Amino acid sequence: MRLSVITMNRIVIIQAFLFLSFTFGMVSPAFAGEPQDQLRQTTDKVLAILSDPVLKSQNKVKERRELILKVVDERFDWEEMARRSLARHWVQRTPEEKQEFTHLFKELLERVYMDKVEGYSWNKISYEGELIDGDYAAVKVKVFTAKDQTIQVEYRARKKGNHWLVYDFIVEGVGLVNNYRTQFNEIILKSSYQELIKRLKTKSTQN
Amino acid sequence: MRTMVKRAMRRSIVECLLCSLLILILSGPAFGGPAVFGGFPPDPAVCYQPPDPPLILAQSSRSSLTEEEREFEEQADTMPDPLEPINRFFFNFNDKLYFWAYKPVASGYKIVVPEDVRLGVKNFFSNLTAPVRLVNCLLQANFKGAGNETIRLLLNSTLGMAGFLDPAKKELGIEKSEEDFGQTLGVWGMGPVFYVEWPFLGASSLRDAIGFTGDILLDPKTYLIKSMPVGLAIRTYDQVNDTSFRIGEYEDFKRNAIDPYLAKREAYHQYRKHKIKNR
Repeated sequence: MRLSVITMNRIVIIQAFLFLSFTFGMVSPAFAGEPQDQLRQTTDKVLAILSDPVLKSQNKVKERRELILKVVDERFDWEEMARRSLARHWVQRTPEEKQEFTHLFKELLERVYMDKVEGYSWNKISYEGELIDGDYAAVKVKVFTAKDQTIQVEYRARKKGNHWLVYDFIVEGVGLVNNYRTQFNEIILKSSYQELIKRLKTKSTQN
Repeated sequence: MRTMVKRAMRRSIVECLLCSLLILILSGPAFGGPAVFGGFPPDPAVCYQPPDPPLILAQSSRSSLTEEEREFEEQADTMPDPLEPINRFFFNFNDKLYFWAYKPVASGYKIVVPEDVRLGVKNFFSNLTAPVRLVNCLLQANFKGAGNETIRLLLNSTLGMAGFLDPAKKELGIEKSEEDFGQTLGVWGMGPVFYVEWPFLGASSLRDAIGFTGDILLDPKTYLIKSMPVGLAIRTYDQVNDTSFRIGEYEDFKRNAIDPYLAKREAYHQYRKHKIKNR
């Protein structure tokens, strides 16, 4: 009896509001282009690894991480991220310094990524459209996590050869690389580049 | 009339103050000092994943991606921070506050109270502030948002059992329009002016602090709750309940930052800019 009342309520509500039609008809058929397709392939692979029951056990954590990072490596342009995070300080660095920095920054970002991937249950990902402008693209994604939570993520990618490589992600308007850029810039300006490297190294040993 | 409003506002602010004190007392370690409190404006460090993005994803209003990407070479857009030493002091204060007070209290609460109940409580408090969002939608000429908020308020207050359930979202997919007066001022063209890290309140800007005062004026709780201890208890409870959903996020955020203070300030800046743009 209780059930049927709820179902009836539901039907009445849906009918009433279909009629008012405040929000319906907004669903835009997402046209999937190259950047989105490529990103989707990567994401699907990561999700497959995450849901693999064999890899779920405690002693497989390391193995699983390596598998995920291998998939991600192909899609993310670490050097571009490093270059962007240093912005105008990048050109002042020697090739060796650039290499060292890229390595440290990559390590940091991989951990950020793993935190996000392992820490939350990714129930569903919906693709909300993309924007292509020459060699640059933005792919909008909505991540449905635990109960009642959705996160808007925007991937920024740049075309290199046939591949669209991700160089930044923007979570609810907060750009990851952009955020590090501000931190790095102020640390360099207030102390020195060497101080920044020192702090990056401390971070990597802490974890 | 004006004195009534003033009195109600003063009471609300005092309640906010006392609310944080109560959390402190509950948490154990004795901890004095002035107290201001409220869940608002949202602290990006704590709510790193805001629960409800706006219903309509704004189709990108940027002129050109390429253009935007070139801009990064030049000076980045950061929030002015003339009060940095003071802000850093309160950042550390808030950091300790989280680990010593909010986290232990909310963790205990989380163990005792099932998720569904906590979610219901969250919905209930959120439903109470629907008028704040509704008015701010109107002030921003966001009529779709205002319409959605009206439907949500009517539906959730009745079929949603006084707001504990969220049939508007569950059945109809009508999401909240998280609008506040700080954003309204932003839409009207006001910049953040400079960054402020309030003790207890967390990240804010001069603009959003003004906005916060405006929102207290629009909050029905300011007028409905006559007794101060009751108001105080309610605000405290709302805060603890809210924190119970977010344990772990701030830790993650801090772990991944090289300078957590700067990371928080910039995240707040970008997050607010994003909310103002995507109304």
